[in-house]
Amino acid sequence: MSDSVVRDFKLAKAPVYSHCFSQDRSILAVTLNTDCLVYRLVAHGKPQLIATLADHDKTVTSVDISIHGRIVTCSQDRNAIVWEPLSDGSYKPTLVLLRINRAATCVQWAPSGYKFAVGSSARIIAICYYEQENDWWVSKHIKKPIKSTINCLSWHPNGIMLACGGTDGYVRAFSGFVKGLDSKEQVANSPWADKFPFGALIREWYDGAWIHGIAWRGSQEKLAFVTHSGTFNVVDPSDEISSAEYPEGLPLTSVVWVNDHEAACGGYSCHPILFSEGARGWQFAKNIDKSVDTRAPVAASFNGEEEQDENPSFGISALRKFKDLDLKGKVSTQVKESTHENAITELAPFAENSGNVTEISSSGLDGKIVVYRV
Amino acid sequence: MEDWRRIDIDAFDPDSGRLVPEDLAPPNLKSVNAGEIESKISQLRSAATSGDFATALQLVTNEPPYSADEVTKSRYFEAVLSALTQVRQAEIANLVKQLSPAQTDVLIKYLYKGMSVPEGQKQGGILLSWFEKVTQNTGVAPVVRYLSDRRTV
Repeated sequence: MSDSVVRDFKLAKAPVYSHCFSQDRSILAVTLNTDCLVYRLVAHGKPQLIATLADHDKTVTSVDISIHGRIVTCSQDRNAIVWEPLSDGSYKPTLVLLRINRAATCVQWAPSGYKFAVGSSARIIAICYYEQENDWWVSKHIKKPIKSTINCLSWHPNGIMLACGGTDGYVRAFSGFVKGLDSKEQVANSPWADKFPFGALIREWYDGAWIHGIAWRGSQEKLAFVTHSGTFNVVDPSDEISSAEYPEGLPLTSVVWVNDHEAACGGYSCHPILFSEGARGWQFAKNIDKSVDTRAPVAASFNGEEEQDENPSFGISALRKFKDLDLKGKVSTQVKESTHENAITELAPFAENSGNVTEISSSGLDGKIVVYRV
Repeated sequence: MEDWRRIDIDAFDPDSGRLVPEDLAPPNLKSVNAGEIESKISQLRSAATSGDFATALQLVTNEPPYSADEVTKSRYFEAVLSALTQVRQAEIANLVKQLSPAQTDVLIKYLYKGMSVPEGQKQGGILLSWFEKVTQNTGVAPVVRYLSDRRTV
């Protein structure tokens, strides 16, 4: 483990597809199979399980916590559920009718905490908000011109623009303006468009590869997205796309902005990667939490019994030869290249200092939650 | 339990609009006309015959005819394959090193294309040694990009 790792929890023996910390970073929600687990963080040691949200009956794909502490989960069972925290520490579920016929894949609360967006495989984004008179969460659909599964969503800090990316290779920005909740002042002087009627396609950019992760930098009016082809891209209102490739070339699944000129990405290489913007545009900057090549020679991992065997008979040397073949190119079990032992599924900002992120959290297919210093 | 993953849910919803291959075709491809391709093929063949493989490889990896139809693409590929297979094993590493990252990506596409068609499979050994030299030079990054690129050769 390198010194960039602040905390490291092994919470599950199954993949964690999504995780989220509450606003004050005291509560941690993670998806696990068909449940969502809620933990309270303690100063030292393992987080303490406080609730299991178990109403979904298929894999839970995404979880998010609003600024008010409400948890929303969405699942392959085509539903989203809003979990209202009660004073005794339990959560009261409310089913949200998404009206989609395929899996819900990703969910995110708008910054205001009064509406959220759900992406789905049904080529639909559902914008959901609470309707007072019916005492019910209702959803409105954004359909056109989405052609395939939505993989990722991000609300602009203004709470109206919603960016999405999916398997059709397009990054799109829509308006998620909900009458009665939003006001036009939120998008006054926006460089992206003049009018923001609900569902309007504001911009679209084509990349071609699957888009796995997307994030706005509101203060800069920039949008970053990462793709299955291992590229990190930034677009601005002038539609200029600047790209940087990850030298190892493995797919990237998630991105968070660290500051105006740096962004951290995670993906199949099991450790976060930092991209930075310099005089020559965006470029790969460094790996976080990747041990430099400390591969022990294979022979070192043999046990003593075999090494005592100084004059092996022919049969034994043949045996050793095959064992050598078997270990070729492998590292001994002691060597761990990074804290995550499998692909990173999601990154999120963990600690911030005047708009700059100082620590990021990640969840992985290995069931770990890790907090890194960046 | 019923195998719900195999239910054709689109059949229940006429509005859902099935995904057709054209939906996912990449937009804004540079269109090419038949004449350009023919002249490129003959340039390629003459470069290969005269042993100028560096030029041949530049021709192969610059602006491949992405938007051409399958018949044209396979005609073009024949020329590419014959150029690639005429290169001597020892020269491959050197040639690969001269390519830019974008050109390497195109080369990988042709190598995979070659391995997917019978004509290429007959020359599989040579294609694999090209592949080996490319991955030694750049790692697996071009392969990942090949897998996720919708522009085909």
